[in-house]
Parts: sequence; C-alpha cells; structure tokens
Amino acid sequence: MRKSDGFWLFIGSGMLLLAAILIQAHFVARADLPLLRQKAAVVKNLGLTDLCLSTEARYTRHLSQSDWHAAFQSHPLALDHFPSGSVFAPPGTLKKSHD
Amino acid sequence: MIRSIEKQRNILDFTLSSLWRRWGKNLALVVVYTLVVFSLGSVMFFTQALKNEAAIILRGTPEIIVQKLVAGRHELIPVAYAQKISAIRGVEAVKDRLWGYYFDPVGQANYTLMVPEAIDLNDNEIVVGAGISRVRRVFRGNAMVLRTFDGRPVNLFVKGILSPESELLSSDLMLISATGFRRLFGVSQNDATDLTVKVLNKKEIPTIAAKIVDTLPDTRAITRDEILRTYDAVFDWRGGIMIAILAGAVLAFLIFAWDKAAGLSAEEKREIGILKAIGWETTDVLQMKFWEGMVVSLSSFFLGVILAYFHIFYASATLFEPVLKGWSTLYPDFRLTPFISGYQIAILFFFTVIPYTVATIIPAWRAATIDPDVVMRF
Amino acid sequence: MIELQNIRKVFNEGRPNEYIALHDLSLFIAAHQVTALTGPSGSGKTTLLSLLGCMARPTAGRIVLQGREITSLPERFLTDIRRKTFGFIFQQFNLLNGISVIENVMLPAYPLGEPFSTLKQKALGLLELFNLAHKAAAKVEWLSGGEAQRTAIARALVNHPEVIIADEPTAHLDTRLSREFMDIMRDFKAQGKTILIASHDPLVHESQVVDRVVRMRDGRIIDSGAI
Ligand SMILES: Nc1ncnc2c1ncn2[C@@H]1O[C@H](COP(=O)(O)OP(=O)(O)OP(=O)(O)O)[C@@H](O)[C@H]1O
Ligand SMILES: [Mg+2]
Repeated sequence: MRKSDGFWLFIGSGMLLLAAILIQAHFVARADLPLLRQKAAVVKNLGLTDLCLSTEARYTRHLSQSDWHAAFQSHPLALDHFPSGSVFAPPGTLKKSHD
Repeated sequence: MIRSIEKQRNILDFTLSSLWRRWGKNLALVVVYTLVVFSLGSVMFFTQALKNEAAIILRGTPEIIVQKLVAGRHELIPVAYAQKISAIRGVEAVKDRLWGYYFDPVGQANYTLMVPEAIDLNDNEIVVGAGISRVRRVFRGNAMVLRTFDGRPVNLFVKGILSPESELLSSDLMLISATGFRRLFGVSQNDATDLTVKVLNKKEIPTIAAKIVDTLPDTRAITRDEILRTYDAVFDWRGGIMIAILAGAVLAFLIFAWDKAAGLSAEEKREIGILKAIGWETTDVLQMKFWEGMVVSLSSFFLGVILAYFHIFYASATLFEPVLKGWSTLYPDFRLTPFISGYQIAILFFFTVIPYTVATIIPAWRAATIDPDVVMRF
Repeated sequence: MIELQNIRKVFNEGRPNEYIALHDLSLFIAAHQVTALTGPSGSGKTTLLSLLGCMARPTAGRIVLQGREITSLPERFLTDIRRKTFGFIFQQFNLLNGISVIENVMLPAYPLGEPFSTLKQKALGLLELFNLAHKAAAKVEWLSGGEAQRTAIARALVNHPEVIIADEPTAHLDTRLSREFMDIMRDFKAQGKTILIASHDPLVHESQVVDRVVRMRDGRIIDSGAI
C-alpha cells in the first residue's frame, strides 16, 4: 500500500468516526428528552435556580443569586481562593447593572 | 484531472516519507497539538452542552425572586414584604422560600438546604441528593446528625434519596421541613430567605420586577430571564477557564509558529533547493508544505475532537473536576446530554487545522522561491 | 540544439561585490554529442551549465533551445522545459537523506502526476540498469560513493531527458568508478542523448566518448573545440 493511501485511510476513518459521533450525539440528545423534561420538573417543583456544578462557594453554587457589587463582596471574578470562582462569568443580573 | 490527483498523491507520498524521517519530533508535535485540540474541544463541548441543558431545564425556575440586601449582601427578608408585593397590580402570587447552606464538618462538604413546597416532610425527616448520599454514605432509613445554630445536635432521618439522574441540579440538596429549617438555623417565623413572585402576564415580568424594587428599595429582583442569561453566558470567552485554555493554546501555537518562522533549518532549505533543481516548481514545494501541515494538524484534529467528546460526555468531564470541585469534596456525578453540532466542529477545525497549516507554509515561501541554480553550489 | 548568444552573467549587479562570471559568451551545442567544459576553478563552468540547463537566467543575451527563445519565459514554463528536457547530475549528488533509493529516483517525476505504478516500474528499470535493484528500499545515506553516483544518474534519467548535464561528476570517484561513469555516458550517447559535462578531470576530457572540449578562463571561452 502507498503511504498516501494509508493516510487517506486514517483521515477517512477519522471522518467516519466524527460523523458517527455527530449522529450518535443527535440520537442520544433526542433520547434524553424525557430525562431533560424530568429535570425541568425537578426545577419547577423545588423552585431551583441554579445548576449544581460546584459546591465550594455560595456564589458558584448559586451563580445567579450571587451578591451585587459592593466592596469586598464575593463576586465570581474577584480574586479569591476558590478555584471554581475563576471559572464562571458573572451572572446576568450583575452584568445588567453594569450596562 | 486524474493527473493532478495523482500528482497530489505523489507529493503526499513524499511528504509522509519526509515526515517519517523525524518521526519522533513529528509525533511529539501531533501529541502537543492533539492536546491543544482536546482542551479547546473539551471546553467547547462542555460549555455548549451545559448552556443547552441549562436553557432547557431552568425554564421552570421562579419568574421573579425578591431578595433583601443589607450592606450589599443578601439577607433574610421579612415575610411581611410579601403583602406589599401582592398589592402590585399584575402579581398573581407571592411565596416565601427557605433555603441556605450548611457546612458539614464530617463530610467536609457544603450542602444546600431547602424547604420544598411539593414534598411533605415531618420535622425530623430529610430527603438528600445523591451526592450527599455518596459523600456521607447515608441511605434511605439512615440518620444524619446536624448541629443547630446554637450547637445542639439534631437527628434527621433520611426519607429518600433524590434521583441520581438529576444530580446536575440536586447533588448537594438536602430537603427539610420548614420547622426543621427554622429550628436548625434559628430563623424566626417572620423571616424567609427570599420571596418568589408569580406574574399574570409573562411579558410584564421586567416591569413588575422594577416596580417591586421601587416599592421596596432595600430589595433586588432577579428575573427568570436573567437566570437563563446567566447560564447562557456562564462560560463566555472572558471566563476563567476559557482564558486559561485559550491562552495555553495560543501560546503553544505561538511557540510553534515562532520556531517555524525563525527559519527552516539549513537541511530543510537544502532539500527544498534540491527539489527545485530536479524540476519541482515553487507551487509544488508549497503544496508539499501544505500536506506537511495537514498531516500533522488533521491527525491531531481528529484525535483531539474524538478524545474531547468521550472526555466530556462519557467521563463526566473528569479533567474539569478539580477546578469545579475546588476545595469541596462533593462533586456531582452527571452525564451531560451531548448537544454538539457540526458548527462547533467546523469552528474547531478553523481554529486548529488552518492556522497550523498556514504557519507551516508561510516560512517555506522564501525557501521555495530560491533559484534552483543555488543547488549547484551546495 | 542549444545556442547561447552574447551571454553575460553578473552576480550581485550594482553592489560593491559585483562580479562578472561570464563575459559576452556565445556557444552552440549540437545535439547527440558529448561536450566537455573545462578550465580552472572559478572560470564559470558551473555558471554556464546552470544557464544552459534553464536553472538560472543570464543578465544579458539570449538562449535558444531547439529553436525557441527561452530567456524571457516565466518561471513555470522554464521549470516545465527544464524537467522535461534536462537531467542533472550534481557534483555532490544531492540525494535526499532518509528517503529510500527508489523514492529519490522517482522524485523528479512526482509533480508530473504520472500514475504511481508506471512510475515505480520505470524507476525500478533504471535501478536494474545500474545494478541497484537490490538497494531500492535502502536509505541513500547507506550507499557507497559509486552507488550514490549511480542513484543520482538514475534520478537524472527518470523523466527521459534529451540532455544530460553533469557538473564535476567524477570529483568524488576513484579512477575505476570514473571510468565506469564515462562508460555509462557512452551508452547514453549511443541512445542519442546530448551530454554536457563540466570537469577539470583529464580522465573526462581526454576520454574517447567526448566529442568536443570547450576550454574556459575568467568567464570567457578560450577554445571552443573542434566540432
Ligand atoms: N551567487 C554568486 N554570487 C557571487 N559570485 C558568484 C556566485 N556564483 C558564482 N560566483 C562566482 O562566479 C565565478 C564562477 O563560478 P563557477 O562556479 O561557475 O566556477 P567553476 O568554473 O564552476 O569553478 P569550479 O571548477 O571551482 O567549480 C566564481 O568566481 C564564483 O565565485
Ligand atoms: Mg563548478
């Protein structure tokens, strides 16, 4: 086999795999719909406001409920010792009050 | 047509032979570049999936949340505020919510305590999220000891565990009765954590929110739209992780480009000269360089994207766990719904394959335009 | 076959290190002959060969190849003419290290888009001709001097050129291998190829194979040789 054919084979299988992933993702996402609805129901029933991605600090646990600006407040972009604090962007409420 | 295809195959053949000579170096390049694609792809898949998921599941979040602020901080709100809000035209219902945090020294974790409206619990019962169950090894029927605000232990019985499917929402939740909550934290009957407001006409949500703040100047109102928007922009490009990873990727790319632009090695220049002398045109040489860039970056692209997909959707984004988890011990065990699109993959392609290939071709340009007769003097 | 008319080649023109390598030089090279260029080092042999082989352009003057003026052609056409008409054998062989012998031989034909199998057949045939078939898969840096030389010759022939240009082909060879090289040239001449060799090696210009010896000095032809 020529070297170039080997390369095409590799690229071809990469492309096939990518296509397979896209198709698979599509079907999984569709199959997940009932699950998503179930989660939406949990939000509604419990009156939740935030995703539980991080539990270490209250402003990353309840991102949308974090305090507004005041000196030394716990703001997601403030320099602090919570690693998750550097991950999230500030909540919409905060951004709004900046506009 | 056939000839030009055959020509590209020939040139690619030579490129591969040529790359193979320094397979160690080129393999290292592929590995580094795969890592770059993998990180970018992981961030992209993760944030996009979270955004989509949040947009769907948070649609049922309260329409307006009213919180009292004292000195810039969220404080308990007097239940009496509810009447003033009810009086505003267009408000359908106002309810008080009780929720807060409890740091558990045993599990070294923070829990979110919440009083549910829909679930009936007696004063000594709790329902816990799957994360708490995992961290504290408590199951249905077990008891958990929590300490009240004034230091007394209370025994709470686990009535149930929240479904693990909803861990992304409820991993750290502990549902408790209102009486239990007030007893635990010493919150008086006159206070609540915040108030939720239901509005008759959804279009009026912002207007009513403004009216509430007008009537009660020491409060703030958070609307459903704002919550949804928060999650839509939660990982924007200015966000920490994005910056860190983008910076890393850009840096890696710059180092690489600098290395390339610093000039081809004397050996590479000599080889280009020889190719020109034996009858390759400038464009043939550049095509060879194009393939050189493509071989490395396309391989990295496929490997990186595929690895990123499995990382995010089948391995709980394990590599992000340390930063999201932070100092806490509780990390939700979730499976995101794979919301990915061809668009995302196209973006990844344009940010990885194209610049790499261009950076491979550009420095070769000068070398490729040398006069072939130079070779006669090597 | 190739005619040079008042060729001038100036290096670094207009700069302090300007150097006139060829002065108003005219020469006619007949087809199917072996022409040897000789002269002291620096006399302009290599420069002249690179002009004849369309590798470089003269500063002034015209080059006519098979009745066609080629000095003013754009690079693309020049390259095309060069790779179809000329086969080059360089003094340093200039093989690409790390690549197999057969790939080195096929390299000049790659951009022409010939089907791979016929190309490979052709290259194998050439290697057989030079007793190198058993080395086809070997890396060129493992070859002996003579084998490298023969590989370089095979590479020069892969596009079936009418003209073979060799610059100091025997410089790195011992007497036996040099003779062998001249024998190969004789076969090419018998096949009707035109051959141009630049060399100060007496073994070359005193060889029976050479039809004409052109002597140069300081960028001028001092003896254009009997035709
Ligand atoms: N690119 C260049 N720039 C400046 N001078 C050059 C250049 N190329 C060649 N020369 C000069 O032109 C002159 C002729 O060089 P050329 O290589 O043609 O000589 P030669 O007859 O082949 O010598 P030798 O027998 O040593 O190979 C030399 O003096 C050389 O220094
Ligand atoms: Mg010379």
